[in-house]
Amino acid sequence: MNAVDATSITQRFGKITAVDDVSFTVREGELFGFIGPDGAGKTTLFRIAATLIIPTGGRMNLFGLNVVSDFRELRNHIGYMPGRFSLYTDLTVEENLQFYATIFGTTIHENYYLIEPIYKQIEPFRKRLAGRLSGGMKQKLALSCALIHKPRILILDEPTTGVDAVSRTEFWEMLEGLKREGITIIVSTPYMDEALRCDRIALMQQGKLMGIDTPAAIRSSYGKRIYAVSHRDRYRLLLALRAMTEAVGPEPFGEAVHITLREGASVEDVKKSLERAGLEGAEATEITPGIEDVFLGLMNRSESLKV
Amino acid sequence: MKKLIFLLSKEFRQIRRNPFMIRAIIAVPVLQMLILVPAVTFEVKRIDLAVIDNDRSQASRELVAKLTGSSFFVVAATPATVTEAESMLFSGDADIALVIPPDFSEGLAGVTRPRLQVLVDAVNATSAQLSWSYLTSVVRDFNRDVIVSTGMMPGNTTALSGGSVPGISVSPRYWYNPTLNYKYYMLPGVLVILITAIGLMMSGLNLVREKESGTIEQINVTPVMKWQLIASKIIPFFIIGLLDLALGLSIGWLAFNIPFEGSLLLFFACAAIFLVAVLGLALFFSTMASTQQQFLFVAFFFVMIFILMSGIFTPTESMPLWAQQFNWVNPVAYLMRINRMVMLKGSGFSDIMRDMGMLTVLAFSYLTLAIRAYRKRA
Repeated sequence: MNAVDATSITQRFGKITAVDDVSFTVREGELFGFIGPDGAGKTTLFRIAATLIIPTGGRMNLFGLNVVSDFRELRNHIGYMPGRFSLYTDLTVEENLQFYATIFGTTIHENYYLIEPIYKQIEPFRKRLAGRLSGGMKQKLALSCALIHKPRILILDEPTTGVDAVSRTEFWEMLEGLKREGITIIVSTPYMDEALRCDRIALMQQGKLMGIDTPAAIRSSYGKRIYAVSHRDRYRLLLALRAMTEAVGPEPFGEAVHITLREGASVEDVKKSLERAGLEGAEATEITPGIEDVFLGLMNRSESLKV
Repeated sequence: MKKLIFLLSKEFRQIRRNPFMIRAIIAVPVLQMLILVPAVTFEVKRIDLAVIDNDRSQASRELVAKLTGSSFFVVAATPATVTEAESMLFSGDADIALVIPPDFSEGLAGVTRPRLQVLVDAVNATSAQLSWSYLTSVVRDFNRDVIVSTGMMPGNTTALSGGSVPGISVSPRYWYNPTLNYKYYMLPGVLVILITAIGLMMSGLNLVREKESGTIEQINVTPVMKWQLIASKIIPFFIIGLLDLALGLSIGWLAFNIPFEGSLLLFFACAAIFLVAVLGLALFFSTMASTQQQFLFVAFFFVMIFILMSGIFTPTESMPLWAQQFNWVNPVAYLMRINRMVMLKGSGFSDIMRDMGMLTVLAFSYLTLAIRAYRKRA
C-alpha cells in the first residue's frame, strides 16, 4: 500500500487555481520532497493531505484512508507541522508536548523513544515558554509535538525556513533518523541542497507538478550540457552573457555563472564573444547539472512555452 | 472527558499567564461599578439661571431668592438684556433665562396680569423638562405664598402657572425605590453591561487569538472533537463571567448599599443562561473574523446596539414597535429587565418566567448557530 495516493488534486480559491491537477504517489517509508518557489501550491497541497481543506477536485488517500471521508481516523496517524510556528507561545516547552500527547490520547513516556534524539536537545529548557525559544529550538519542539503520537506519516511544510544553517543540517539528520523508524515523511523546502537529501523529489510551480524523480535521475535527465563561466568581474560577465546569443539562460551561482549553449554554438564561441566585450581570460568548464539548474531550466522552458 | 478537562486546564493556565487578562478580569467590574453607577444619571442637580430682573422690586428679589433657596438653582449671571441672556444660553453658561417684567410687583398687587418669561435650553429634552418642572413648582409655591399673604389671587386670574391653590393634595409614594435613587436603577443595568463585556468580548478575542497565531491549525489536525474544543473555549469565560458578576454585586453592596430583594439563586441562574447566549454569539462572530481587529469591530457594533436598545437608559416600552421587536432577539434586554425586577422588586420565578424562558430559547439558538458555523476545516 502506498502512503500517499493523489489523483488529479485540484484546489481553487475563487479565480486562483492554487493546485492544478496534481497526481503523485509516495511509498511507505519514503522521504518525499516538494520543491518550488513561493506560491507554487505546496502549502495548499499539504493542507489537503493534513485533512484541513477539502480539495475542489481529485482524490487523495493516505494509507488507503480518504482525506475527505475518513479524516477522523486519519487524524490519528498524521503528524503535521505548518510552515508557521503554531505551538502555544505562552505555554512552556514541556506543557506544549504534554498538551499534544494528551489530546492524542497518549503520554510523553509512551513514545519518548521516538522523540528522544530531538527532544533531548531542548529538554534543558523544558520550563521555558515556547515563545522564548530560538528558531532552531522552536523547530525541534514543533517536530517533537508532531511526533509524540507516533504518526505513520509526517507532513512538514517548509520546516527549515528561517532556521540557521547548523540547525537545518541537524534537522535533516533527524528526519533521516525518523525515516529509519519507518515513518513516511513528505516535506517541502525552498532550498535545493535539502531536496538532494530526499528519496524522491517533486518539482512544483504555479500549482502544477513539473516532474517527480530521484535527485540523481532528475539531474541526469536534464539532457543539456551546462558550463560554469567565471571571471573576476562577475557583474559585467553576467551582463555580457545575457546580451550574447550563443549562451542560453545565464544564472549566477556563487562565483560562477551557469549557462547552456544555443544549438550549434561552442564554448569557444562564447569565449570569443566575451573577449570582444572586453572580458579577457574568462574560464568556462563543463559541470554536472545540479537540481537548481534543472529546476531553473524547467521554469524557463515553461515560461517560453507560455509565450 | 479527560481530554476536555485537560483542554480546560490549558485554557485556565493561559489565562492565568496573561497579565492583561488577569487585570481585566479584576479591573473591569471594579471600574465599571465605581464609575458608571454614580456617573450615569439623568438627575438634574444644578441648573444655571440667567435672571433679567426688569422690575428690581422686593417681590422679584423674593422670587429669585426662593429659586436659589432650592438646591437646584444657581444664579449664574444677571444680564441687563434678553439678548445677553440668549448669548449665555448659546455658550452654555446658562441653562434657563428667567425674564421678570417691569410690572411684576404691580401685577402681584393686582394692578396688571403678572407674566414671567422663561427660556429653556432644551437640547437635552429630558433635563429641560425636569428643569422646567422644578422651576414651575417653585413659582407655584411663590404664588401660593402671595395668595396666603394677600388673601387674593394676583391679577384676578391664575396667571402664574396653573396652581391648585385650594385643591386636592397628592402625596405620592414611590415603590421599590422609595428615595428615587437613580443608582438603584442603574446598578442592575451596569451589572448586565459587565457580564456582556466579559462574555462577548473576552471570550471572542481569546478564540480569534488562536486563529491569528495559527495554533488552531495545529489543533485542527488532532482527533480532538469539535464539541470538546468549543466547550474548552466557552466554559472558562462562563465561570469568569459569573465570578465577575459576584464581584460586581459585592461592590454594589459595599459602595452603594444597593438593596437586593429577590433570590440570589434566581439572579445567578438567569445570568448563567444569559452568558450561554452571549458566549454563543461570541463564538459565532469569531467564526466570521480572522483577526482580533475584525472581531472587535463586529462585536463592538453589536454590543453597542444590544446595550442601547436594551432599556438601560430608556424604557423599551417607549421605543418604536420595530425596536421592541428587535429586542426579542436581544439577550441584553431580557437580563436588563430580569435583573431590575429581581434586585429591586424582589420578583420571583413566576414573575420572570416568560423572560427567562425566552432567554433560554435565545441561548440555545445562538449556541446552535455558532456550533453549526464553527468548522475544524475549510
